[in-house]
Amino acid sequence: MNKKRAVILHTAIVVSFMLVSFRLADLMIIDHKRLQERAQQQHIKVEDIQVRRGTIFDRRGRELALNLEAESLYCDPEALNADTEDIRKLASFVNNEPARMLAQIPDKGRFVWIKRKLPPETADKIRALRIEGLDFLTEAKRFYPKRELASHIIGFVGIDNQALEGIELQYDKYLTAKGGKVIMERDASGKTLSSGVTVEAQGNNIVLTIDEVLQRLAEKELDRAMKQWRAAAASAIMMDPYTGEILAIANRPAYDANRGGSARGFEKRNRAITDCYEPGSTFKLIIGVGSLEEKLVKPDTVFDVSKGGVQVGGKTIRDVHKYGLLTFKEVIQKSSNVGSILAGMKLGKENIYRYAKLFGFGDKTGIDLPGEISGWIHKPEQWSGTSLGAISIGQEVAVTPIQMLRAYSAIANGGFLVRPHVVSEIISPDNRTFASFRDSDNHRIISAKTAETFKNILKSVTEEGGTAKNASIDGNPVAGKTGTAQMIDPVTKRYSRDKYVSSFVGFVPADNPRLAMIIIVYEPKGEIYGGVVAAPVFREITRQALSYLNVPREDSPGQHAALLVSR
Amino acid sequence: MSLAMLVLRPVMVILLFAGVFGLVYLRSNVTKLEYSLGELEKKKVHCLRDRKMLFAEKTSQLSFARLESSADDRDGFVLPDRLQVVHVSKDTRSLPRLASLKQKQ
Repeated sequence: MNKKRAVILHTAIVVSFMLVSFRLADLMIIDHKRLQERAQQQHIKVEDIQVRRGTIFDRRGRELALNLEAESLYCDPEALNADTEDIRKLASFVNNEPARMLAQIPDKGRFVWIKRKLPPETADKIRALRIEGLDFLTEAKRFYPKRELASHIIGFVGIDNQALEGIELQYDKYLTAKGGKVIMERDASGKTLSSGVTVEAQGNNIVLTIDEVLQRLAEKELDRAMKQWRAAAASAIMMDPYTGEILAIANRPAYDANRGGSARGFEKRNRAITDCYEPGSTFKLIIGVGSLEEKLVKPDTVFDVSKGGVQVGGKTIRDVHKYGLLTFKEVIQKSSNVGSILAGMKLGKENIYRYAKLFGFGDKTGIDLPGEISGWIHKPEQWSGTSLGAISIGQEVAVTPIQMLRAYSAIANGGFLVRPHVVSEIISPDNRTFASFRDSDNHRIISAKTAETFKNILKSVTEEGGTAKNASIDGNPVAGKTGTAQMIDPVTKRYSRDKYVSSFVGFVPADNPRLAMIIIVYEPKGEIYGGVVAAPVFREITRQALSYLNVPREDSPGQHAALLVSR
Repeated sequence: MSLAMLVLRPVMVILLFAGVFGLVYLRSNVTKLEYSLGELEKKKVHCLRDRKMLFAEKTSQLSFARLESSADDRDGFVLPDRLQVVHVSKDTRSLPRLASLKQKQ
């Protein structure tokens, strides 16, 4: 009996082992491939490598654009389990109507965004609701800590971090990095096990030529001018006249780069490079420099402007004030239209056009920002009978503020045309210089002598008797030129009687310029002249900027006895 | 069967079991460590996120516009008159004292 039982038991054990062995063989050999794939699906998780855009710095290493980690709320519609009260609370946290929010969630499917890039405190509140079927994903969020400051230069990105404006757009390929995938292991409950692999890729950092403080000074003074003159818009550009490094570009109206997507079109316009205007008297630079370079006039050459007007192509162009005899220097100093036209007639239309092109008018400056336009100046063969007179005083041409500033910078630096630029360096994430734009490609366009002569004439503009006395600052001579031009009325297509563009462009200290700057105020109310509206803005910005840049006053009694420190 | 075999057999069985359990123990410890590392990495990610937030906040607070407005409004600071500023310039030439020292050398 016992033997029989033992046989049965042994047989049962052997059969059981055989069954287990067969099953193991089935799992490990026969069905191996399918099961391995299934196991991999369950245990291996492929994650996207998070791409973080590079940081944007000002010239002194102050952050202008950086990244934050934000939580984005999504819903698994098939797993969603929430009552009406939960939905009401959730909708209030994401600033939505409950009904509208529910309408966004489909009945089927496993993924739908509820709200992306939430502030941390909102994410915490939602998490506390413990709603089944809701979860968060961490995403990179671009943050602009200086908000409105330099927003037209820096630009902004969209919800998916896609570049939309400014440096973000222009240098997008450098700021972003290649993403890719990383394989992570997870357990049966979906918990990720550490792989030690970095799941973040960082783009290159960009160092701008912009200085935060100078930018702020420019923006602050533009705000003041906008308020004082109830202007429609205003622009200011500050540049190193020797290198073309842009120190500040300010435009008004402006927008907060953190809310770039909701900014209106006119707020987003970088007028300094995307808008052109008829420059008015600041264009007399071309007549002045051309006449001097061609040796047609000298600073003391006398022009008879006593008639107060001059006939060009059957049209009489007049001076604002009546003068008698003016030297060429006084023609520029007092901004005499008649004197400029007489000089323009001497220079001739071919030369006027040639010098305008030489100074870069009608061509893009090549600034590294998106949206630059070229403006225009017609070829001499397309000029009408009145064109010579009109162009001599800055009408019938369209220039951008950056073009005008570059032209005056050529006077400041002794005759070289520079390439304006806003990026100084691109630095890789491991802190190596990837590209440097410090070497400027300047080329001479006029002789040093002509530049020096015209600079002295421009200095007289801000002195007693000049049109821009309001641009002068204590302690350092200023060289520059005012401009007042009528705008074209978009309805009548004629010059408007009440819409003007007031401008001032110049550089300081005149004999050893540290900065060149242009101020444009569009449609000022109350006053229209560049010397009254724009020149004081120039003065206020440069007064503070020179102090910030540590430029000594030239009239200071202690200037020659400056404290010397030996290293 | 020799005496040695009689003694060795249970020892080998014990060693075998100890080895198997040792392997299982080690493997489970590795998994445990992976879990711990995973948790620590999560904490690290949270800390990094907080650091980024704090850094952004600091950068925002240190913006020139904010400093200027608080210095103006709250503390009554004004930009100095440029006449009151002493400009310190570096001079690479030797001053008399250094020159005399150099001569002695």
